[in-house]
Amino acid sequence: MKKKLSRTGLIEQMLNYKYIYLMLVPGLLFLLTFKYLPMYGIQLAFKRYMLNKGITGSPWVGLENFRYIWTEPAFWRAFKNTIIISLMKLGLGFPIGIILALLINELRIKKYKRFLQTIYTFPHFLSWVIVSGIVFNFLGNTGAFNSFLQTIGMHKINFLMNKSIFRYLLVYSEVWKEAGWSTILYLAAIAGIDPTLYEAATVDGANRWYKIKYITWPGIQNIVVIMFIMTVGTIMVAGFNQVFNLYNEVVYDVGDIISTYVYRISFQQAPDYGVSTAVGLFNGLINFILLMLANAFAKRFGNSGII
Amino acid sequence: MKKRKFNFVDLIILIILTIFGLAVLYPFYNAILVSIVPQHVYAASPFMLWPDEITFNSYKKVLSDPAILNGLKTTLIVTILGTAYNMILTILTAYALTKEIPGRKLINYLILFTMFFSGGLIPYYLLIKNIGLINNILVMILPMGFNIMYMIVMRSFFSQLPTALEESAKIDGANDITILFKIILPLSLPIIATLSLYYGVNRWNEWYHGMLFVNSTELMPLQLVLRNIVQDANKFLQGNTAAVANVKTFSEGIKMASVVATMFPIMLLYPFLQRYFLTGLTLGAVKS
Repeated sequence: MKKKLSRTGLIEQMLNYKYIYLMLVPGLLFLLTFKYLPMYGIQLAFKRYMLNKGITGSPWVGLENFRYIWTEPAFWRAFKNTIIISLMKLGLGFPIGIILALLINELRIKKYKRFLQTIYTFPHFLSWVIVSGIVFNFLGNTGAFNSFLQTIGMHKINFLMNKSIFRYLLVYSEVWKEAGWSTILYLAAIAGIDPTLYEAATVDGANRWYKIKYITWPGIQNIVVIMFIMTVGTIMVAGFNQVFNLYNEVVYDVGDIISTYVYRISFQQAPDYGVSTAVGLFNGLINFILLMLANAFAKRFGNSGII
Repeated sequence: MKKRKFNFVDLIILIILTIFGLAVLYPFYNAILVSIVPQHVYAASPFMLWPDEITFNSYKKVLSDPAILNGLKTTLIVTILGTAYNMILTILTAYALTKEIPGRKLINYLILFTMFFSGGLIPYYLLIKNIGLINNILVMILPMGFNIMYMIVMRSFFSQLPTALEESAKIDGANDITILFKIILPLSLPIIATLSLYYGVNRWNEWYHGMLFVNSTELMPLQLVLRNIVQDANKFLQGNTAAVANVKTFSEGIKMASVVATMFPIMLLYPFLQRYFLTGLTLGAVKS
């Protein structure tokens, strides 16, 4: 119900809601301080930062920082790695959640199903710091998995320091940590499917495969599309926490992503804040565009999207 | 409906799911084993199915390590204060946004915009520095105000509560603040418990702000202390000779004891966290 209000009507209405506005104050104050105020510093992308002059007083340098990035191989390496790692996670990791959900749904032993789900979802609640500790212990050079390989007569593999393996290690650890959690959405969608559809299909003599193909899959298709689009939208993110806790100098070539690169150049000796900010802004703008596009696409599929 | 027979395909599914289950479980199990065996058992073979010999030496060392104890203290403060702060902001914002107030749309956009765009690392760092939060425990609390997804979940919960009670309270002259605390919140205890748990886990897992903004060892959160321990292990695995030479104690055992000890509270809370999986917490977030 929206009525056109005269100015006095609007003020009166706002006064009516004065306590509601009061409730918004803490949340908005938080957003303003920690989300919007930092945006003032974005101007550093076009400045040469000088410690004694601060953000406002530092001199403008136009696009110099961006020109520098353009010729910086480490930046392009991080840019390329970010996209490759994201695409690998999307291509190899994303379908596993769906397949896992479909398989869990087909499992008939209820108690065992619950037990397995309990195991699958647990790692989601751990930080990447903890997970990295577990990964190092398990896959390290002297770890359990290599010891197992030797027991069965195979050679050790240095999973953590091998350039051709490291990206797969990222995909694997991501699946290990998050695949179980991602099934929850799909399983919730499956739970919402009308059970009489399955009963009717059984009466008609449909086998398991037909039921998956014509009932279960269409039932989760929408949520799969949404999740896919939103994942594509975050392609330039690739996961700072994960990479930062798992990588090491030996695998920078294949593992350094934009966010870890920004972190390193920002906190190295004698950092150039202008360049760091410029990289951050560049990444942030691409992110913004991708997310807006993803959101628009998600809306087209009949869902509300985020906005 | 008649129960179907357990056939070959069922068996295959069972096997695949069991293998995935073992792949998730074993690395945990191995970490726990490494933390409770003496060094010579680990040295004989780190791939174990059961502990040949049990010792709690690693745990004794971890639990008497001042860095760990300090970290635990910081993390407990951050978790308790941080969760309370998160919940206050979440509840107030979510409730206010269920009302058709003038400007609501603008506020919604202001909130959602922050999901799409941020100032980036350096502007954020300089802001934190300028407002004097470096080396202050509040830096691990204040910048994480509310999680937008959780706020939306809470808002959806509030908006599906029956409005009749609220209206009658209003007629009796109660203001919105009284209504929120006396009527809405008592009806919302399940969602308050759920979101507090989720926020609590997030705060417990905090290390990033600690790493960026804290350099006094006194104030390091537990996960950051753990990270330093684990990353040292990383160097060790890289064959850093200095690190190898210095190993007199059973470092891998201590590392895993720290890992297990740090995730122990989450293991304890896990049954409660899990209870809300299928109550539509995540689905609700995506749909609204």
